[in-house]
Amino acid sequence: MTLFGACRIMAELSIRILIPIFEFQEGLFPPFSNPAGWFADWLATDGGLDTMAWFYAVNIALMVGMTNLILVIHLERKIAARIQDRRGPMLSFRSLREVGEDLSGNAPSWKFKENYSGIGILQNVADGIKAFTKELIIPTKADRFLFTMGPIIFISSSVFLLALFPLSDRFAASSAPAGLMVIMAAFSIAPIGILTSGWASNNKYSMIGGMRSAAQLMSYEIPLLLSMAGVFLVAGSFDPVTIVEQQRESTWLFGLPMWNIIPQFIGFVVFMVCILAEVERVPFDLPEAEAELVEGWTTEYSGIRFMFFLMAEYIRGFAGAAVATILFLGGWAGPWPVPPEIWFLIKVYLIIIFWIFIRWSVPRIRTDQILVLGWKKLLPLSLINILIVIFMVEIYPYFTAIVNLPEVF
Amino acid sequence: MAEMWISMGPQHPMTHGLWTLKVKVDGETITDADPELGYLHRSVEKMGERRKYFMNTTLPDRLCYASSTTWTHCYVLTVEELMNVEIPERAKYVRTIMLELQRLASHLMWAGSYMPDLGHITGALYFWRDRELFLNLLEVPSGSRLLYNYIRIGGVKRDLPDGFVEKAERVMKLFEQRLDEYSDLFENSKIFRMRTEDVGKFTAAQAQNLGITGPNMRGCGTKFDLRRNDPYEIYEEIDWDIQTREAGPGYGDCFSRYMVRIDEMKESMRIIRDCFKKMPKGPTLASTIPVRAQGEAFRRTEDSRGEALMYIVGDGTDRPYRWKIKSPMFTTISAAPHYLKGYKVADIPAIMGSVDICIGETDK
Amino acid sequence: MEIKELMQELSAFKGVSNASMIRDNVVKLDIDKNSSKEFFTKLRDDFGFEHCSLITAIDNQPEFELVYHFTSINKSVTVGSTDMSVMTEVHVFLERDTPTIESISDLWGGANWHEREAFDLMGIYFVGHPDLRRVLLPEGFAGHPLRKDYVYEIHEEEW
Repeated sequence: MTLFGACRIMAELSIRILIPIFEFQEGLFPPFSNPAGWFADWLATDGGLDTMAWFYAVNIALMVGMTNLILVIHLERKIAARIQDRRGPMLSFRSLREVGEDLSGNAPSWKFKENYSGIGILQNVADGIKAFTKELIIPTKADRFLFTMGPIIFISSSVFLLALFPLSDRFAASSAPAGLMVIMAAFSIAPIGILTSGWASNNKYSMIGGMRSAAQLMSYEIPLLLSMAGVFLVAGSFDPVTIVEQQRESTWLFGLPMWNIIPQFIGFVVFMVCILAEVERVPFDLPEAEAELVEGWTTEYSGIRFMFFLMAEYIRGFAGAAVATILFLGGWAGPWPVPPEIWFLIKVYLIIIFWIFIRWSVPRIRTDQILVLGWKKLLPLSLINILIVIFMVEIYPYFTAIVNLPEVF
Repeated sequence: MAEMWISMGPQHPMTHGLWTLKVKVDGETITDADPELGYLHRSVEKMGERRKYFMNTTLPDRLCYASSTTWTHCYVLTVEELMNVEIPERAKYVRTIMLELQRLASHLMWAGSYMPDLGHITGALYFWRDRELFLNLLEVPSGSRLLYNYIRIGGVKRDLPDGFVEKAERVMKLFEQRLDEYSDLFENSKIFRMRTEDVGKFTAAQAQNLGITGPNMRGCGTKFDLRRNDPYEIYEEIDWDIQTREAGPGYGDCFSRYMVRIDEMKESMRIIRDCFKKMPKGPTLASTIPVRAQGEAFRRTEDSRGEALMYIVGDGTDRPYRWKIKSPMFTTISAAPHYLKGYKVADIPAIMGSVDICIGETDK
Repeated sequence: MEIKELMQELSAFKGVSNASMIRDNVVKLDIDKNSSKEFFTKLRDDFGFEHCSLITAIDNQPEFELVYHFTSINKSVTVGSTDMSVMTEVHVFLERDTPTIESISDLWGGANWHEREAFDLMGIYFVGHPDLRRVLLPEGFAGHPLRKDYVYEIHEEEW
């Protein structure tokens, strides 16, 4: 059963509760209740049930994404802290209880305690409360409309990503045939939001940050798509489900699975570098380089607007890791006892942890250097990758048919 | 984008202190720069004219909190020259040890604030963690962690306590291991070298003319260190070498300046170890110290940032008539337009961080 | 060149008086204000003093005194066989009502801000300086606080 099928059943169940309510209301206020009645009638049709099922499915995807977001932020903080020889956030329910026990004098005397230890999951809640309660400052000379629109464009295009990638062939809010193209299109909306908010802030640092974002887009977008082209050639489709199925079915020596990372390792490397630039993490976080541009394009933002940017970056990071998993790491393919969704999340989190290690152990590179990297190194490498794939998919099978070569690929 | 002036500071992550760097940029390329000082001016020279000689030792402590002992030492050395005070042999050794520990702490603080300039937060925490080790060491004899007031006219405040040598050996051994670890993280890192190599170049001749001294000049290959070239305290008798680096023939960049400081830290530990070996027993404070002085005197010392020079005129009273402080960073910052032009905006923190700016001593 | 020769050659220069050695590696001399620029040019070009360490202004009441410290970094002047670097300390005396002297910031780039500081705190005017502004005190500050006749209270309201 797919996610959508489950949601469809949920919609049918909820209709049974909703329709009596609407009918009761219709009887209560006859003159005004006709629209409600029409709505109830429409819900009971097939189209109405489908719409409601979509509504449930998107909400579930959003909830899964937001839960992952909190986990990713927490993971980043704890791993960064461990890399830097400190403990990181320690605020959790357990530490709260211990503090409370100590303050009230009810702490058990036999319990030896060095510090209030927790895993720090409540730190995100504390930060969220802080961000929500801060004042939203709009600079006097800023363009008010665009200044407000910037975060909205950025966060909406990022949350949109959450609904696009499937966690498995059954757990998907949407399964468009051109799924990955839609994901990449949604990815590249965000620089417009950055440019907008950078320009609207009326601040020189923000302006330079926005411009850097545009320059960065120029450098990574083309090798990124070219490195993905190899995978599309192999699978013959843009559909994530088809791509993963192709990887699951193809095998290698001794029946080992041949995920795309093995024949297209160059493409994988190029993709990982480019997707790091796409989600703007160190070493490619040039638009918000805090050493020279203060906070870049987010300099003038405060409160929940700033938090939107922060959240959206982690959502984009999660989505980027998910795309990498689908394209190169075999998606949700894995041995049986573990459910495919969990396999998918394990791979995604491994990539995210790899990124966290990179982020806290390298400096940031420069604007001209990322252009050089993108155009002079990544672009030729991705073209080489495509050549390899063409040889593998088209030329080698052609000769195999003629001269009876062993089937390697 | 047309050319525009960006004002970096006084509140900006790049500045490391309170000053303003106005840069004129064309797109992302710097075409002009204009540093502005004065936000931290405390008129130390004027204050010193109203205080007695021995009271003034606390003022140079506050010139630069990253290397307060070296500044107090420079002042004390000048006053001793002015008053013709002979200090005991052991005091010279203790001073040398303290100066080198302070140099280590100062270079570590520089490294710790240079890494975030390049976007490397972890490096900052590593180096600040190691600076704590040396602050702990400095705390043992002097009793405080930041502003020591340990070096007095005629010697030092008190002798090194028992067990100091063992503790220092332990710390230095640990730190040497860590420096080896860090070499993989920093100087062998491709991105670190991309950011620092061929950036902020100036030649040795330029540096000397513009008044850039110390590790920044040694980073251009000039073999000049006042500890060797105008020796004071005990540096003549200690076994050590001047550390130089150059990025190319006769010029240095950010990376060579970084490497000079790392090498100097290793050399400082060598000096400290040699001091421990050769240190005699005896008093650490001269028996008679005059309070009045007549005439003029100057001494220069190798501060952790370059040539520190103090010039004191006495008029026969117990207060200095004129006290002039030369800060190495004053001239280095004034030369900023020369070594910033032509680089990108992203290079500003990398370059200004690499010359190790301290505004406290610059604004006096 | 040995430091003794340096002292002899310098003391033969026009306007130089009271040349002496105050330490093994320091030559101290007085120079007449009018021939100072030629002297400094010669010092840099012929004797290899490539670093201007410090410019100090002293209010000797009534006249002003400027003290220049120059360092030879590349050891064109030596002290015996030691590694010591040689310094020259040059004193110039200025009248109180005309505290002007020719700027040396075209010879030594590092002298630029030293001269600005001397102007800022002591009110010495350097003729030919490209950018003689206050450096440590704010623009519009009245008076020069390191002068001995400076009284703070008078200027308090102006600033």
